[in-house]
Amino acid sequence: MIQNVVASVKLPPKVSGEKQGSGHMEEFGVNFARFMMRCNAECGELAEFNMGGQQTVLMSGPEAQEAFFKTLDLKLSRAAAYQATVPVFGKGVIFDAPPDKMKAQLKIQVDALRYQNMKNYSTVISQEVEDWVASWGDEGELDFLDEFLRLTLHTATHCLLGKDFRDRMTEEFRELYHALEKGLQAIAFVDPYMQQPVFEARDKALVRLQALIGGIIAERRASSHIEYGDALETFMAGTYTDGSQLTENEITGLVIATMFAGHHTSSGTATWTLTELARQKEYSAEVSEELQALFKSASEITLESLREIPKLEAFIEEVLRLHPPLVLLMRRVIEDIDYNGTLIEAGKTVAISIYGSHRNTDYFPDPEKFDPYRPKPDTLFAYIPFGGGPHKCAGNAFAMMQMKAIFAALLPRYEFELVDPDETYQDDLSAIVLKPTGPCRLRYTKRT
Amino acid sequence: MKIKIDLALCQGHSVCLSEAPEVFDVIDQDDGYPQVRVLLENPPQELHERVMKAAKYCPNNVITVLED
Repeated sequence: MIQNVVASVKLPPKVSGEKQGSGHMEEFGVNFARFMMRCNAECGELAEFNMGGQQTVLMSGPEAQEAFFKTLDLKLSRAAAYQATVPVFGKGVIFDAPPDKMKAQLKIQVDALRYQNMKNYSTVISQEVEDWVASWGDEGELDFLDEFLRLTLHTATHCLLGKDFRDRMTEEFRELYHALEKGLQAIAFVDPYMQQPVFEARDKALVRLQALIGGIIAERRASSHIEYGDALETFMAGTYTDGSQLTENEITGLVIATMFAGHHTSSGTATWTLTELARQKEYSAEVSEELQALFKSASEITLESLREIPKLEAFIEEVLRLHPPLVLLMRRVIEDIDYNGTLIEAGKTVAISIYGSHRNTDYFPDPEKFDPYRPKPDTLFAYIPFGGGPHKCAGNAFAMMQMKAIFAALLPRYEFELVDPDETYQDDLSAIVLKPTGPCRLRYTKRT
Repeated sequence: MKIKIDLALCQGHSVCLSEAPEVFDVIDQDDGYPQVRVLLENPPQELHERVMKAAKYCPNNVITVLED
């Protein structure tokens, strides 16, 4: 475990291949998940590399990962590591808020994921899936990377901002959101304020989005008797410890932050799940049988009925092992720490690789093999698709519910097949959030 | 049956409260996430099934149930 440093001499071993000036930035940028597997293979539990001047220590294995998750925010700061989100979510939101306000905002975010809201969300998601498949016909071919990005943008905006907003969702909103997405690319983690056209576009988009969502907030405040059952309602009702409410820009920031946490992660996972269903015929037949027995019609899809679908759950869990949506997590070291006798100095960044952890052969023998029945590790810190410890992804129950709602609606009605050669469906490891390399074409056929 | 709680993992999602309100409450804190509180350390037989569900469906694995 991590302790305060008294007298330490050992430093983490350094990874080879560092270049003058940029360090390992180039190799990291090409495929950071593979790069981190190389770091671990070469140096072991702790491996130090240089990310454009920022010394970064990769922590590998369940013990080091548990230390990473359980060390207090005061010593290992999320806020300092994720400053790239500040110009995307806005001033004073989450990682730009003082610690007490940040905690209050994260609490309000979880409030929007509690039972009553979740019931509404499960209805919303199954409605959106119905609307989506309505025009499919008996058979066809689609790029599901694209399809799921659109579906989950619809479910996210519908759950967050309500039916009215979803129905009125404009091309402008999509473009603004897209401009913010582009503002959160790898270089933003080096310096999010450098002079770059993508960052200028990001800043303009945020101002416009604050005006758009601010307008809805004002509208709702004027007609306060209506119940919406969406996340915006929860965010608007939330208060800080002194009883004051969030400002319009803070509420907008929480909406954006929640979209970012849930959109690409969900669409990437849905795309990979459907692709693996098309690929792993033996297991997908079992999953389809299970779903056909449980869900005779779309009206049977509810929060309660979605809770227990063991074969589908095991299948999705194996998808999340092989294709974890967030490949790496980071913290900034605020106070020197001692990890089992090795000094990790203040100012460095520490990182863990979820992608690498899920391929650790001590816990996942033959790691590239897709096997939903492989035994679960005896530690909570080897299989970590949603992270772990006190800051574990608060949306994990929402995410699993959404995945199950989508496939409970799709699989009893359609069969899916790969269109392209099997080996062309690969992880795209150049983006922050993992997804298959596009296009991801699948053929669907209505079951008879 | 005995109930064990790991508060370090609790984010106040309140699945336990909706499952077995006789056994679990979720209390607002001055600082950070609301936290679960166990009202009945040794719940009677008739509540066991719902306590098991609360443990199973907790999104953060906060609740561990120890059988006698």
